[in-house]
Amino acid sequence: MSDVTEKQFRALQSEVDALAEATLDAPLASLSQWDSLAVLLVISHFEHVHHVYLSGPQVRACLTPRDLIKLAPHVS
Amino acid sequence: MHSLINHFRIAGLSVSTGSVRRSFIADGQANGIPMAQLERVAKTIGLRDRMVSTPDVTALDLCEDATRRLLSEMNLDASSIDAIIFVTQTPDHSQPNNASLLHGRLGLSKSTLAFDLAQGCAGWVTGLHQAALLCAHGGAGRVLLCAGDTLSHLTNKNDRAADPLFGDAGSATIVERTGQPNPMHFIFGADGKGASSIIVPAGGARQPASELTRIETADTSGNLHHAENLHLDGAEIFNFSLREIPPAIQSVMQHGGYTVASTDALILHQANKFIVESVALKVGFAKDKAPAGIVEKFGNQSSASIPCALIDALGDALSQKPLKLAGCGFGVGLSWGAFAGEVGPLILAPIQPYPASP
Repeated sequence: MSDVTEKQFRALQSEVDALAEATLDAPLASLSQWDSLAVLLVISHFEHVHHVYLSGPQVRACLTPRDLIKLAPHVS
Repeated sequence: MHSLINHFRIAGLSVSTGSVRRSFIADGQANGIPMAQLERVAKTIGLRDRMVSTPDVTALDLCEDATRRLLSEMNLDASSIDAIIFVTQTPDHSQPNNASLLHGRLGLSKSTLAFDLAQGCAGWVTGLHQAALLCAHGGAGRVLLCAGDTLSHLTNKNDRAADPLFGDAGSATIVERTGQPNPMHFIFGADGKGASSIIVPAGGARQPASELTRIETADTSGNLHHAENLHLDGAEIFNFSLREIPPAIQSVMQHGGYTVASTDALILHQANKFIVESVALKVGFAKDKAPAGIVEKFGNQSSASIPCALIDALGDALSQKPLKLAGCGFGVGLSWGAFAGEVGPLILAPIQPYPASP
């Protein structure tokens, strides 16, 4: 895991309760609190941290937290 | 669109809510949802109580009650009203409009202008703009602006994403022509490509109501709804709110020469606490200047939420002195309307349920 990815993941975990105990490659579908509220929290995080407006389908298409982190503009 | 209107004032406000209190927590427990899950949503989104109306009470009834109480409080004769603007998306009939029905109920003069505006959460600001135009440029001395909906009647009770959000309410606002400039700036916008984010698919001319439109289907989260129900895409609505609303507020404040420091309060459509706080934070308003808790008491009241917030959060101050306010209504359409101007002192009738408890 790169330092940038780890830092971004920790920041995301601090705002999205569903990810608090998750690993980077945990299937999102397996997390008990991965629901519509968690999707809103992810959208909110990306808006004020990365200035990116994610759509619902973009977030729901992600399978793991690592996929979510890849939506940040400067991580390939 | 930017618009500046002078020579009008908001003279009075009132709101009547549905009479049945519903609790997000109690309803969820009754449906077997774990308490921890309910508390998580309640805390984050701000879902607590909401006031809904019984099926026989419509937005017309709620607005009539709000109007009668306000006219009494202001000691005004209904015959002094030159125009009625009725903002609603839940009218009694497709024809005639609610404004004509209210005109008849109040027994107004035949020289009254009466029309409806089919607007939702941005509707009070849109209606205020029209009322202001009539006062400033249209020959009206006094306009009755009614705004309200009974959206709880449109949600499916087994749709946990939509049903817990909405309360029912009707508002009445008296707008008057004045000799003073009293400038108010408005910004309006629309994004019709997002129309499907908030929609009742059936029941209009495009897809008339039928047995077929009442067949329930389940979404991926297990929520049930049919084509005559109100459908919401929460993620898209939130995205829209963050993307479009803060710039509209900043623009209207800039036109009016307002800063966050010089503005007494930011009054937003009370969609839910999470959206209100997120938008206010992005514009730079601290929580004490951007009331967000009204929705926890009444639910999302559509076009009645801004007048309800004005009374609930600022009523004491507004009844005594002018306040520099900015605000924005936003939602179905998608559409939005922002305003910046001085409001008050004005006469308020208290927020009350209708029908009143025996």
